Amino acid sequence: MTQVSLSAQHLVKRYGGVVALADGNLDVHSGEVMTLVGANGSGKSTFSKIVTGVVAPDGGQLLLNEKAMNFSSPLAARVHSIEAVYQELSLIPRMTVAENIWLGHEIGSWNGMVKVRDMREQTNQLLNLFKGVIPDWVTPDTQVTELHPSEKQIVEILKAFSNNPSVLILDEATASLDLRQVNRLFELVTEWKQRGMAITFISHRLDEIYRVADRVTVLRNGRTMASGNIRDISRQELVNLMIEGGVVQRKASTAKFQFGEERVRVEDFSTNILKNITFSVRSGELVGLGGLHGQGQSDLLLALFGSLPYFGKVFISQQEVALTNTKQAIHRDIAYVPGDRNNGGLLFIRSILENLQLPSWLRYGTPIRMGQARRDAHDIARGGLKLIMSGLDAPVSSLSGGNAQKVVIGKWLLRKPKILLLDDPTKGVDVGAKNEFYKLLADLQVEGTAILFYSSDDEELLGLCNRVLVLHDGMITGDLSGDLLNHSELMTASMGGSMEVNQ
Amino acid sequence: MTNNTTPVFLKTLGRQYYLFSLILLVIAVIINANLQKNFFKPVALNGMLITFLPLILLAMGQVIVIIGGGIDLSVASIVTMVSTILVTRMGAEANHQQVCIALAMGLGAGILAGVLNGFCVAFLRFQPLVTTFATTSIFTGIAVYVLPTPGGAVPRFFMEPLRAKPLEIIMPFWVIFLFLLLWLYLRNTKFGRFLYASGGQPVSAYYSAVPVDWIRFTTYVLSGGLAALAGLSQTMNFGNGSPLVSGDLTMNSIVSVVLGGIPLSGGAGGLVGGVIGGFILIMIQNIISFANVPNWWQTLVKGVIVVFALAGPGIIRVSRRK
Amino acid sequence: MLAMLLAVMLFILGGFVQPGFTRFEQAMNILRLAAFLGIIAAGQTLVILSGGEGIDLSIGAMVTLGAILSYGIVNQSDARILPGLLVTLSAGLFIGLINGVGIAYLRIPPLVMTLGMTSVVRGLVYAVTKGELNGGASPLMSAIVVKPLVMGIPGLLFISATVAFLMWVLLERTTYGKHLFSIGVNRVTARLNGVKVNWTIVSTYMLCSMIAAFGGFLFLGYYEHVFLNLGEKYTLPAVAAVVMGGTTLAGGSGSYWGTIAGAIVLVLIESLLTTLQMQDYARQIVYGLVLLVLLAAYGRQKGLRQ
Repeated sequence: MTQVSLSAQHLVKRYGGVVALADGNLDVHSGEVMTLVGANGSGKSTFSKIVTGVVAPDGGQLLLNEKAMNFSSPLAARVHSIEAVYQELSLIPRMTVAENIWLGHEIGSWNGMVKVRDMREQTNQLLNLFKGVIPDWVTPDTQVTELHPSEKQIVEILKAFSNNPSVLILDEATASLDLRQVNRLFELVTEWKQRGMAITFISHRLDEIYRVADRVTVLRNGRTMASGNIRDISRQELVNLMIEGGVVQRKASTAKFQFGEERVRVEDFSTNILKNITFSVRSGELVGLGGLHGQGQSDLLLALFGSLPYFGKVFISQQEVALTNTKQAIHRDIAYVPGDRNNGGLLFIRSILENLQLPSWLRYGTPIRMGQARRDAHDIARGGLKLIMSGLDAPVSSLSGGNAQKVVIGKWLLRKPKILLLDDPTKGVDVGAKNEFYKLLADLQVEGTAILFYSSDDEELLGLCNRVLVLHDGMITGDLSGDLLNHSELMTASMGGSMEVNQ
Repeated sequence: MTNNTTPVFLKTLGRQYYLFSLILLVIAVIINANLQKNFFKPVALNGMLITFLPLILLAMGQVIVIIGGGIDLSVASIVTMVSTILVTRMGAEANHQQVCIALAMGLGAGILAGVLNGFCVAFLRFQPLVTTFATTSIFTGIAVYVLPTPGGAVPRFFMEPLRAKPLEIIMPFWVIFLFLLLWLYLRNTKFGRFLYASGGQPVSAYYSAVPVDWIRFTTYVLSGGLAALAGLSQTMNFGNGSPLVSGDLTMNSIVSVVLGGIPLSGGAGGLVGGVIGGFILIMIQNIISFANVPNWWQTLVKGVIVVFALAGPGIIRVSRRK
Repeated sequence: MLAMLLAVMLFILGGFVQPGFTRFEQAMNILRLAAFLGIIAAGQTLVILSGGEGIDLSIGAMVTLGAILSYGIVNQSDARILPGLLVTLSAGLFIGLINGVGIAYLRIPPLVMTLGMTSVVRGLVYAVTKGELNGGASPLMSAIVVKPLVMGIPGLLFISATVAFLMWVLLERTTYGKHLFSIGVNRVTARLNGVKVNWTIVSTYMLCSMIAAFGGFLFLGYYEHVFLNLGEKYTLPAVAAVVMGGTTLAGGSGSYWGTIAGAIVLVLIESLLTTLQMQDYARQIVYGLVLLVLLAAYGRQKGLRQ
């Protein structure tokens, strides 16, 4: 491979009113792995999209081998041998593995038709690079819809590699891979780098960064803060460079208060994943749901909100209820905060007022008493939420991530919920907003709301919750509180080790 | 002992998207044959093929546009426009040379119509539905300009090719067969793959350096071309033209696509489905006329049958979920 | 509100091109036609707002059915106006129910479902009339709808103003309206906020067909006679009016004021073209071209590259 160097200087990108990149700088050369790190929303993905021509920059320049470049489309970048593996998968579900890998650069023959056999062979060779860490039934003709997310990610990586790039960008490419797959990937990365490839590795997992990187560039709020050899920066220094407001406040409040009566009880509860679980939550208690991904935590929350069918019994304040749709659940003062703001939390193009009152319009009569609705929304926004907004009628899309997440919980605060269900609500939220969020939860606890909280962040779970129920294989393998509420107990229970369940 | 004896042919058939439609077609043909005594006689089959070739051609064009993620409401007006151009350029006394010129103009007009549609939808990013509605008005206007009142004529020899019978099988059949073969080829080229990618997941296709805009543009050009051929075949059949657009024709082309098991959202399906769907529609029409349904009830019955056929996949999906 | 501005501009332009264009009677004429289209497009506005590629292509046939049902039942007698109206509206609700159920519960794409129902409704028209049209409008109807009522303004405009007010209340001051916007933006989000999505969809299509049927009733009052396929020419202009008015075809955002403005613009264009004494063919071509130009301003979708 010929020597290559890519340099991005003072890149700027705006999406509407939001500045994604204010001053992005990075350079990477053949034979090295450069890591790009930064908190969520710091502009990492935007960076890679500019370099590969998917998105046009509003300012700055790209230099490839000292020559200024302007990539007007992904094809242009590909022609210059630059490939990327993005965070959002770009596979065509209905097509096969081979069809996806070769999409856009199929091997054609003189008569125009594509050479299926040749592509299949080459696909096999590519799949062999990951032999042993992907199941054997994955073949070039397997349809992508049948693949597990980790396998899809590997297909994406192979797709980028199949073009023989001299510059390869891996954007959170290890997000869905298991340990063995990550190891294999890093072996390949080392091999490719020695062959002369220039590799940019975008990640927020410190362990991986320190394993595979040669140099590092730190992005914060769209600006490059620092850049240098990975060996010259300690982990703590790196984290400090990334985070603005310091470290996350773990314990929201240390005030001990009495929990009240049993607010919600679940008996012999089953869904597709869950198997006859039983537990209860008291008024004012903040119970966490722990365990590995996909063990039924989200299902449990959705079912309790009436959005997923279930078997078993649910009791609210000692009375049995049936939860068959969300309207019923809301009527019983159950609230649900999703982690995915786009799909379930907010209506982005509608106003803040409409988002705050969405579950509650019925309470204002027909025709709606708009004045009252506005006053109530205003009180909550300025008061409890301390929302930074230009007005109730501004669209929610004008709010920053943290403020938008406040609206998601704000609409439920208006109703003084008895039970609050949270499905990984602080994912992608910056530190300052997280702390304010925790404070809101604490306020709710004081008012007696029973809270069920799922988080993919173990630290958050351990720091915030009074109790943690750990799910594994559809069952509760741990009911941790007090002394047992620590990392190793959590880990053990997550892996399935049966523990002393706190009665 | 488990022995898999299902022949490969049947297994591949079972996986095709148009399986349900094929079954529907077979049922429809059986019903039709029962009602229409001479159904399988060449005279009846040939007549049907000649009359409905335009619909099948339009259905094929619509399939291509829909797989690409769009829709073309202007097809019927293109048919009319091309037909009026043909009859006015030819006249009953035209010689071979003049006929060729007329053909070039007619087909050229159809392709240009497709270019206009494609340019607006693919490059200017207009919404396909309202755009092709607007262009319908333009093309109809042109048709009225070219031929203000029904009439016109074509030379006798011009009408013959449609009724020719190479190998004892009528021409329209060969035309359809030819296009299906062409499609088989196209589907296995880069263009074919790009087409399916652009329709189903345009963003992913874009990331993979697929020229999504050009693909979408081409689908409209192809649709325009096929509509032009439909106009040609219609003119060959009737020998005259009319500026009045058959409103049903566009709707029928879309219904044919849906009846063929092809999702309107794009990215899946194929020409075979469109052809099958078109024939299902034709069978329904025939069944209604031969079942001695009183004149004034025919439209209603046809409508109800079509709605049920359209609802079919949905009902199956819902009951399967239960 | 760009559309409103455009409408005013076109009107003034018309005044220059053809003296007398801006006369009161002419203005009333245009407003009358626009009012009619606007009422029919009200239902279409609701359907498009509901998102999920919502569209109702059967309203043209519904207008025809409404007009013919009224024609037959009213039969020139004032006393039978009310039954005529009720039957017409019920027919609309019934057809809309079928549309809604197919779209919400059977997941049939709206384009397909309403396209299919168009032939069903058309078939109903043929079947009910058996080709013969017997009946008539009643004097009271014409009085309300077409003849000048107050200050020379025909009743139709007052009716249309009422419809506009009701639409505003429906969209901005009822729970249904708020829910409608939410399902237009994102159905998953709406459901997770307590909205009964399917019910909202079905009601929307029912309202749309009912309004279209009402439009047919008004048609009778206006023209005092009916003919087969009278409503076909309103279907796509209704969609165009909604799009011109700023309601995106994706749903979730827009307003009825926009639709009214869009309707006025479309009618103005047609009138302008007629007064310019263009021949039929030229009018059609120009109409299509103007629509394309308007689409350039209102109907452009997001590009793949940002």
